[in-house]
Amino acid sequence: MSISDWLSGLAGRNPALAEIDARRASLGILVVFLAPALLVYAGFTIYPVLRTFYNAFHAIKPHGVVEFVGLSNFTALLLTDSIFWKAVTNTAIFTIVATIVDVVGGLLLALSLFARAPLAPLLRVVWFTPVLMSYVVVGIIWVWIYDYDWGLANAVLHWLGLGAFEQSWLGHPSTALWSVLVAHEWKWLGFNMIVFLAALHALPAEVLGAAELDHCGWFAKLVYIIVPMLRTTIVNLLVLSFIGKMMVFDLIWVMTSGGPLWSTETVSTYVYKRAFEWNTFDLGYPSAIAVLWFIIILVFIAIMTRLLRQRDRLEF
Amino acid sequence: MHARFAIRFLAAASVVTFAVLFGAATNASAQDVTLEVWSHEADEPAKVAFRELAARNLEKSHPGIKVKITWYEKNPLFAALKTALPAGKGPDVFYLEPDQVEYISAGYIIPLDDLVNWNNIEPWARKIWTHNGKTYAIPQEAYTVELYYNKDALKKLGVDLPANAQFTQAQFLDLVKKARAAGMTPVAQGVGDRPYPGAYITVEALLRKLGPDDYQKLFTGKLSFADPRVVEVLKWVKELVDAGAYPKNFMTVKLGESHYYFYSKPGALTLPMGSFYTGRAFVPEEKGGQPQNFPLGIMQFPAMDRGACNECKTSTIGASFAINAASKQKQLAAEFLNAMSTPAMGKMWIETVYLQTGIKADVKNFTGPHAAYFTELMDRQKGEKYFIGQPRDMVTGECKEAFAQVLNSGFPGGLLSVDQAVQMMNKACYKG
Repeated sequence: MSISDWLSGLAGRNPALAEIDARRASLGILVVFLAPALLVYAGFTIYPVLRTFYNAFHAIKPHGVVEFVGLSNFTALLLTDSIFWKAVTNTAIFTIVATIVDVVGGLLLALSLFARAPLAPLLRVVWFTPVLMSYVVVGIIWVWIYDYDWGLANAVLHWLGLGAFEQSWLGHPSTALWSVLVAHEWKWLGFNMIVFLAALHALPAEVLGAAELDHCGWFAKLVYIIVPMLRTTIVNLLVLSFIGKMMVFDLIWVMTSGGPLWSTETVSTYVYKRAFEWNTFDLGYPSAIAVLWFIIILVFIAIMTRLLRQRDRLEF
Repeated sequence: MHARFAIRFLAAASVVTFAVLFGAATNASAQDVTLEVWSHEADEPAKVAFRELAARNLEKSHPGIKVKITWYEKNPLFAALKTALPAGKGPDVFYLEPDQVEYISAGYIIPLDDLVNWNNIEPWARKIWTHNGKTYAIPQEAYTVELYYNKDALKKLGVDLPANAQFTQAQFLDLVKKARAAGMTPVAQGVGDRPYPGAYITVEALLRKLGPDDYQKLFTGKLSFADPRVVEVLKWVKELVDAGAYPKNFMTVKLGESHYYFYSKPGALTLPMGSFYTGRAFVPEEKGGQPQNFPLGIMQFPAMDRGACNECKTSTIGASFAINAASKQKQLAAEFLNAMSTPAMGKMWIETVYLQTGIKADVKNFTGPHAAYFTELMDRQKGEKYFIGQPRDMVTGECKEAFAQVLNSGFPGGLLSVDQAVQMMNKACYKG
């Protein structure tokens, strides 16, 4: 007899022990046990969100004075703030490109490991290790790599005889955002790879075996069998990746702080600057940006999940 | 029944334990008075030692008092303050700089006029923190903006420093070209972690060209950046940039790294920097400091053609300390400010930090390993007219952001033409 069998048996005979069962516990008991978690959630998640919405429609003035300003923060943001639009453009580019590269790249890496490429166990460790690092560490490493004078990127180009391509990767608006994107992919590809690898190993071997018996080529097998069966994983990773990229902050902040000339400014870095670096304690305007961005993310997620929803469930 | 009783007993016990612990903590805080201080400059040992000594001195003179200094880097400190203060929290005393006037307008720091012993503070330094007749912080660190150079490198280029230590703008441009031709970086500078050092050469040139009044008007939105004199200065700076004045990694080199770039690797001819240079340079070489035999010199920023005030120089206040309006120990906090501001502490500041101060200190003869440096620094102040404050003390909001992105990085980084810089600065700053 297992312990759980013993406990359930005991509970059945002993009415006092039966009350331990959460489904039968009184409201008072439930409140006692749920209250700490609910309080923490309310204090650190619900309240800040509600407060941000409240602030977005107000101007927070000195000495605790709060003035209702209606939609004026939003109209100023949408109609006159050129930096905001630059930040939106950069965030959109970063999100679209990074999301696609994350998912496609992660799938390709996983496929190469799934196909038992040479040195696969080593490659799995090498590709996954950057995932374990914090963005701050990754940012510092890549700032060194991109340094014009002593960075690895230019040294390699020089060594390859491609000295003409040496440049200040983070110092020019045309290369800065792409350079940060490369650093991001270096860190994040390994995560998607592991998720895809787990999903690939969960695929039914008989379906893949049957395809091979039918002389299905590797490309056809990938497109017509593997990818459709990975659809749920792909959609989940797309959505998660999209959300993460739309809120990108730490890597950009460490590597460029939004420069040069706002070429890497994202909505999140701009919110931070408006909140903490513009000589003001008025959180109204930055809250308006945050609220607007929250709504935009929500809408896009709804659209994405609707478009990518699987109508016919595959059974395998 | 027993189980229900047990659960209720546990819940009640938890509540009682929590209440006892909370009560004990409250009781403990009532008995031991701790003064909380938040300070920037964790990476400058001489300043850390100075403030810790003041803390220990206060503890000695006030038994039962404990001063706890929490050391931060600048950006995390201000982010922490901007969330703590609106919530009525935060330390009793904190580090602040004169451009942060929003703390005054928001009422988060209190006037110190009747709390602090102002006899020990230089009146000109106090003036920087005086707004509407009230003074809001103790000005501890004072500095001038200097143009440091490597004496040996200058000699190697076959150039002699003029007797007044000031090149003309044409001579300086020629010097930059000569240095670049000799494979030397003419100006070590980087904007990787600060919104101002890249603008040093530009703003010092503007100060000399325009003179103090118009210079102030420029950065308070009353004078256009399209003014012919401003454009003339920007064109000269553009010539310097195009001649390769700045390092190729200008955009990513951090403030501390620019010091190391100048005196160690790879080495450079000049370093425009506040005289707080010493805080990082005068530490042991193995800790990243300047080599002992480094031939450090100080020259004046170049004289501008038809300059309104070529003897003008920027002097300002850096590290300052204010008292949190929500502090329950304002008198004690003021005692700590006084403990940092005695003449003896002022003398110690100069002799250990090798930097000017807003504290009155009678130091006539400099001794120690860096005495020659301090003598030269004082020589460079002779006959100078000070403009008190920097552009970043005068600009706010969008103009501050434009200053950081345009004059600090984009323009000296070679990413903008003169016309583009003028247009962007005017859009953000000019109110005419």
